[in-house]
Amino acid sequence: MNATVPTPTPIVAVERVGVHFPVSGGRTLKAVDGVSLEVMPRETFGVIGESGSGKTTLGRAIICLEKPSAGRILHQGLDPYALSSRELRRHRRRYQIIFQDPNAALDPRMTILKSIREPMDVTGEMPERQRQQRALELMERVGLSPDFASRYPHELSGGQKQRVCIARVLTLRPDLIVCDEAVSALDVSIQADILNLFAELQAEFGLTYVFITHNLGVVAHVSDRVAVMYLGRIVEIGRTEDVVLSPSHPYTEALLSAEPVALPSNLRSHSRVMLKGELPSHVSPPSGCRFRTRCRFVQPLCGEKEPPWRETAPGHWSACHFAGELPIMSGAELHPVKLGGHAAQPEGRA
Amino acid sequence: MSRRTLRVIGWRLLQVVPVIVLATFAVFGLLQLVPGDPAAVIAGETATAERIVQIREMLGLDLPLWQQYLHWLGGAVQGDLSTSLITGLPVIDEVLRRLPNTLLIVVCALILAISIAVPLGILAATHVDGRVDRFVTSIASLGVAVPNFWVGMILVGFFALNLGWFPTTGAASLTEDPARALWHAALPAIALASSGIAEITRQLRSALIEVLSSQYVRTLQAKGLSQGRILWRHGLKNVSLTLLTVIGLVFNRTLGATVAIEAVFAIPGTGSLVVTSATNKDFPVVQGVVFVLVLIVILCNLLIDILYSVLDPRMNKQ
Amino acid sequence: MSVISEGVVRRKRRRSRFVAWLAGDKRAAVSLVFLLALASLSVLANVVAPYSPLEQSMDILAPPSAAHLLGTDDLGRDVFSRLVHGGPMSLYASFLAVSVGVLIGLPFGVLAGYLGGWIDTAVSRVIDTILSCPSIVLAIAVTGALGIGLTNSMIAVGIVFSPGLARLIRVQTMIVKGELYVDAARTFGLSTPRLVFRHILPNAIQPVIVQVTLLLATALLAEASLSFLGLGVQPPHPSWGQMLARAYAYMEIAPEQMYAPGFAILFTALAFNALGESLRSLLDPTRRRSD
Ligand SMILES: Nc1ncnc2c1ncn2[C@@H]1O[C@H](COP(=O)(O)OP(=O)(O)O)[C@@H](O)[C@H]1O
Ligand code: SF4
Ligand SMILES: [Mg+2]
Repeated sequence: MNATVPTPTPIVAVERVGVHFPVSGGRTLKAVDGVSLEVMPRETFGVIGESGSGKTTLGRAIICLEKPSAGRILHQGLDPYALSSRELRRHRRRYQIIFQDPNAALDPRMTILKSIREPMDVTGEMPERQRQQRALELMERVGLSPDFASRYPHELSGGQKQRVCIARVLTLRPDLIVCDEAVSALDVSIQADILNLFAELQAEFGLTYVFITHNLGVVAHVSDRVAVMYLGRIVEIGRTEDVVLSPSHPYTEALLSAEPVALPSNLRSHSRVMLKGELPSHVSPPSGCRFRTRCRFVQPLCGEKEPPWRETAPGHWSACHFAGELPIMSGAELHPVKLGGHAAQPEGRA
Repeated sequence: MSRRTLRVIGWRLLQVVPVIVLATFAVFGLLQLVPGDPAAVIAGETATAERIVQIREMLGLDLPLWQQYLHWLGGAVQGDLSTSLITGLPVIDEVLRRLPNTLLIVVCALILAISIAVPLGILAATHVDGRVDRFVTSIASLGVAVPNFWVGMILVGFFALNLGWFPTTGAASLTEDPARALWHAALPAIALASSGIAEITRQLRSALIEVLSSQYVRTLQAKGLSQGRILWRHGLKNVSLTLLTVIGLVFNRTLGATVAIEAVFAIPGTGSLVVTSATNKDFPVVQGVVFVLVLIVILCNLLIDILYSVLDPRMNKQ
Repeated sequence: MSVISEGVVRRKRRRSRFVAWLAGDKRAAVSLVFLLALASLSVLANVVAPYSPLEQSMDILAPPSAAHLLGTDDLGRDVFSRLVHGGPMSLYASFLAVSVGVLIGLPFGVLAGYLGGWIDTAVSRVIDTILSCPSIVLAIAVTGALGIGLTNSMIAVGIVFSPGLARLIRVQTMIVKGELYVDAARTFGLSTPRLVFRHILPNAIQPVIVQVTLLLATALLAEASLSFLGLGVQPPHPSWGQMLARAYAYMEIAPEQMYAPGFAILFTALAFNALGESLRSLLDPTRRRSD
């Protein structure tokens, strides 16, 4: 499906991956169901979708915290599950994650310094002094005073804890960092700072990101390409400007329009497309197109056949029977002020 | 009883089977804990080589382990728990002869504990952090920490030796002379009840406090329902399941605690049987007592599970 | 870099928190003092006790006097000296039983909780089965098999404790295993044993510490019962339970003999329990302090 011209090996290639969980009644919940994507070196790849669409599970699968029940994940062409458990432990250090909840991501019984040092302590490759030194340097780099070194996580604010997590991951010089809603649990006033930090670090360390969020503003701001997820599937994928400014899938349109805009309601009501109804169950998703229960363009065909991938512009794909033929509103119509032909600003920036 | 309840009961009965099988492993395995050659240990230091061989054959210790187990199991299934090494009599007869004496004091203690602990628990929960509550919780703390055979000794010293109101030792058959049996059982039951009272009071208190402080009950209070009515209609009904669980636990503990109590009151029960046989290395008897007691506890737990599903049909969904 | 001085401040702060805990809970403070006193008395038993605990005299079943603070027993031995020497026996017995319980219960519980699956099912079934045997009866049976004596009987009590402890740590392990920081550590390439020792055990152990404190009281009572029944401490050595057994034999002549050892057991058990309860409410997550 992907029309990428021959380029270097992707940092990560997700090939028809499914992640299934057993649930009560002997049934399976397919949190991720047949997802394919490729992330190129130094790219920021956005994943967006409403809560429960399977983004976190996909992110966890990418870094081998969740083993795919179907398909495979390739890290620079290498299947990590083909490695011995010892080799996997070494290998996986290059694929890291920043979790949504920094409170839960730090061991409450470890000091900040110990937490940051931990990845280096695992292999003990560097002499102790050097590890200590590097941990303190990285603390400074992410904007933490060395005074925090001997504190415990509960003494820090959410933003500070997230900086600790970032410093901790950087000690490994990872090839890829999955940022799973890395700012959404933080105060709006801090979100922008952390986003800027991510951008700076990317330039400085040559990082590749998979940036997961349900906030369109954030994704538009940071990512080069974006995939839109719905009920365990990707429904639209393409360059960020293309997807945000001229969405070709009705779900993306609805998602864009759900984005809160700093406009009086009388001015924007005409261009709102409301998402009606609840997210259907992962356990028994709708037949045909999964979005049909909430789609404003639904046709009889949608319930009968799964939509194939359609390329509406070079490198811009959509899984809708009628992609490119529907009167979908453009990003400019949906967000006249905010987008204005430019990438969106993150929340709290303005 | 609904069909669903019956199905749950059937399911529970089925679940008991593996537990009983595991229990037979455990009971059989007791002999494996004996260091060195069990036959030599059982025979004692002064035993002749012949006697050791005799014991080994009698217990089938020369067979492979799994055959020993199957042999033992085969007997147990038919109600044959082997014979005592000392008296040569069937173990099951001796255990069953003594069991009524033990069960009598355990059941009396349980009834006593419930009838004292329930009012105490309610009293404490309705006066949280007040003087009454503090008094009751202190009593409960004492009850958990006091060795109940010592309570038994004090009771004997005072009520039996000083006042002569109760017999100091012995037991009587409930079927032949019920009054005398209960008279004999009184002091041991009181001594046994001390930890049960404490445990039931504590658990009932905290369960009641939780229910009474719930939003729902507070709404009822605001509506002006009387304290007694709320307690009866909502408190006790809700905690009856907690109570059931605690009673199961206390039954198990009391059955254990009776061992020392039987020693104090010289009651010929299963507790004193297990002590003398353990001292004399009469392992078939030890195994027999443990097995029978485990069966009783398993059956008691089963009964509680069934009562649970009758009382609370919601549980059956699981 | 102020890392070092920070550490000192931290230690000081922890100490003041300890003081605040004891000041806030008088019962725990008294219990701690009592247990510390008992421990020192046990260490100094030879110095404190006026007589040898085994030294017999013609002065049989004497009432308390200046020479014999608590009188003498049926063999003319000084009851006070025996009481003092019984202390270390009882403490040794309690700690031995609880250690054995932890040593057996912890690995099984962690294993079952961490690995899950059929191992968990199997371990849980075994736990249920052992727990359905009245604990003292099982301890007596195991003592009979291992051989009579204080150490064996307390190993038996420890074996009987282990399934309860295993069940507790199993649940805790299952909770902690699902924590995000454990996932994070996994991405750093920690091996399973390292994961367990660095992250899971330290975060799962708190309720076990509480339970261990409470079990010390249970073990003390079990030791008393077993020694009373003649399966624990063997004469002529003194332990509180064993002293009660002797007192029981002469109860009609000298009933006061049963009070000293009985109260010694009661107070020590009370102290362990009070300390355990206090720790429980201190560590209770619903009451976590926000400092
Ligand atoms: N370990 C799990 N077991 C069962 N269901 C899970 C598990 N993890 C996630 N899910 C389910 O998978 C779906 C997708 O979850 P998630 O990946 O967290 O979505 P998102 O991050 O997009 O909000 C949800 O319905 C969630 O309940
Ligand atoms: S396939 Fe049909 S239901 Fe699905 S998004 Fe397209 S129009 Fe809507
Ligand atoms: Mg998520």
